[in-house]
Amino acid sequence: MKTLFFTRALFVCLALLGLLMADPALAAKKSVKVGFIGPLTGGVSANGLGGRNSAELAVMERNEDPSAKFLYEFTALDDECKPNIGVQVGTKMGADRKVIGAVTHYCSAVALSVVDIYHRFGLPVIVWGAVQPDITYGNDYPEVMRICGTMINQNEEAAKFMRSQGYKKFAILHDTTDYGKSHKDFFSKYLTENGGEILGVFGVTSDQQDFTAELTKIKSLNPEVIYFGGLTPLGVRIRSQMDKLGIKAQFEGTSGIKSDAFIEGLGKNLAEGSLSFIEGTPTEKLPGGKKFLESYKSRNFSQGPEAYGAFAYAAMVRILDAIEAVGPDRKKVTATLNATKDVDTLVGKVTFDDHGQNIVPAISKYVVQDGVWVLWEDSEYGSGKRRLKH
Amino acid sequence: MRHHPSRDLIIPGPAGCVLMATALLAWSILFLKAEEQIPILVYMISGSLLVLVAALSDLHKSISATISSNESSWDKCMTLTLLALILIFHDDHYTLFLLGTIMVYATAVLGLNVQLGYTGVINFSAASFFGIGSYTAAMSSAAGLPSLPALLLGGIVAALVGCVLLLPVLRTSGHYAALVTMAFALLFRVFLEVNEWFGGPQGIAVAPLTLFGLDFSQDMQLWGIEFSFYVKYDLACLLLLVLAFGFVRRLERSWLGLSMDAVRCDETAGACFGVDIARWKITAFTVGNLLSGLAGALYAMMLAYISPANFAFPDSLLFLSILLLGGMGNNWGVILATVFVVVIPEKFQVIQEYRYLIYAALVLFMILYRPMGLLPRKARNYGRLS
Repeated sequence: MKTLFFTRALFVCLALLGLLMADPALAAKKSVKVGFIGPLTGGVSANGLGGRNSAELAVMERNEDPSAKFLYEFTALDDECKPNIGVQVGTKMGADRKVIGAVTHYCSAVALSVVDIYHRFGLPVIVWGAVQPDITYGNDYPEVMRICGTMINQNEEAAKFMRSQGYKKFAILHDTTDYGKSHKDFFSKYLTENGGEILGVFGVTSDQQDFTAELTKIKSLNPEVIYFGGLTPLGVRIRSQMDKLGIKAQFEGTSGIKSDAFIEGLGKNLAEGSLSFIEGTPTEKLPGGKKFLESYKSRNFSQGPEAYGAFAYAAMVRILDAIEAVGPDRKKVTATLNATKDVDTLVGKVTFDDHGQNIVPAISKYVVQDGVWVLWEDSEYGSGKRRLKH
Repeated sequence: MRHHPSRDLIIPGPAGCVLMATALLAWSILFLKAEEQIPILVYMISGSLLVLVAALSDLHKSISATISSNESSWDKCMTLTLLALILIFHDDHYTLFLLGTIMVYATAVLGLNVQLGYTGVINFSAASFFGIGSYTAAMSSAAGLPSLPALLLGGIVAALVGCVLLLPVLRTSGHYAALVTMAFALLFRVFLEVNEWFGGPQGIAVAPLTLFGLDFSQDMQLWGIEFSFYVKYDLACLLLLVLAFGFVRRLERSWLGLSMDAVRCDETAGACFGVDIARWKITAFTVGNLLSGLAGALYAMMLAYISPANFAFPDSLLFLSILLLGGMGNNWGVILATVFVVVIPEKFQVIQEYRYLIYAALVLFMILYRPMGLLPRKARNYGRLS
């Protein structure tokens, strides 16, 4: 009786042990770890999950490719869009010597706090969604690269475009977060360089409800365009209060208002003609974009890739290519990635400058037409059929 | 029949403390090393089963009797356990960072404990005072002040800024006092975001701690063994925690603590017996902010980069929930709860976006079955007579 019990117990123990030891190391290919960090919980988790799925898709596809030299193990960590948690998970990923490269961060403040950690541990990372310029330009770390554009590109394009439309006098409203403030700075810079005139700048907090004071002042300045640097909720309030006060100026936003919620919040008529600028080309218009979307759909992820999914995918493909080329060695992978020049990816040609910043990012211009965001070139505004406010 | 506590004692005095500390150490090592889903679950379930068994049997009585009758050996054992953990994980940067975070947070929450747990002064802006310490350390070391004074200044400035809030805190109570401190938390964040001088919304880099020519941000080698730079930070955190813990415990057991108890339990009755209510509220508020500020300053140096988003209102709620989870007024409870709140979401990283679901379930379970916290504060026991 007692022996039977022991035999059984032994079996259970062995089975448990087997479960714990089951490791892909048994497979013929050497396994290599690659990582992803983004906000998987919290307010911006939709973007984070889209990015994670897209990066994971790249790894899945590579593992199905019989010519791949290694078996890739994908590990994703959640930075909650909070800088101190970012440092925590960044340390975890950097200190894990098995991780050879990673696709990291959607939130700029998080990316800024963690770049030092990647440099310390020598982990090559490609930023997939954070647009603050200092992430790449504020340091000389070869380990930190970025595939998406920065606010600089976005605002340079925006300023030039608005001037080409014949606008001269601008009023600027921005929220006082990192996002809004940096947008204001870069837009002002490029606007004055291109001969525009700024009549007034107004900072507002990111949860302000009433803008009557600022808008009344703006009305008396009588600008042709009101530029708003900030996110959708504020954009909706400002645009509708502009209407209430009878301000006839053209409304121009940043990537922050390019969402369906902006149009839903304002209604078709009020949203009509609002402008937005965003990094990247819409995924379905990219070479290979259709294939990406189909492949994404076939994996049954529970969330869509969102605006920055394609960047996360392209960044992960770059890392995997580099590992295939030089083997799982952080230093060699960093050097290979730094040398990226005119490489075709899902998001177009990619070239990293001496700060690891992709310098050929496409910027798309959008305008609201009949209740949807339409690419400027495809819109009736672009073809001259309709006209913006003057 | 009245139970004599010593009759329940199965584990004898100091040896019992060593035994329990060793068991705790072994479990912590296994748990912290676990990376895969299954082992993490196995350790968590086995740990909670052990606790449950102890709680249901008479074991917990003898454990608490052993601890309370051998306090100084228990304190030493716990300090040594933490020290041992730091040394065992000497080259594991991530675990060391986690340990450092736990110790710093625990120090800050001990400060909050003096305010809310001892004296009943509501503070919904603990993270702001933590942040004031961080920013003071950042700005003053950028201005060329050596690390140690910068660290101390972090605590002092937090205490001084707290004085601004004294008048509204003294004049209000209950919900109104909560609102005043909440308003301060929001104000603090906006203030940081609009001031370019403080790095603005992007944040600001913090110089590493440097003591007696020893740079804390460099890895080091001793006797041929590689030590992570976090070992040094962890030792500093441990020192701060031990000092803070000793301080708040002495505070609790002195006549000062008694007066604070009187303020918390019944202001009117206390005043009738000659307890100066305002005086003790001010003392508790200032002492608490001092501790939060000191902890914040050390955290900033360890983090090397801080931004306003680290010290937002939800972080104040996190501090408050640590205190509630641990058991208001109980300092050991604070430490236990900090471990829970910092480590458990981290260990659940393997299940990614679902991790907060389990975390929330655990919190709900706690509220249902331990509404007074993991370790509720006990009534004062004078002299352990019986």
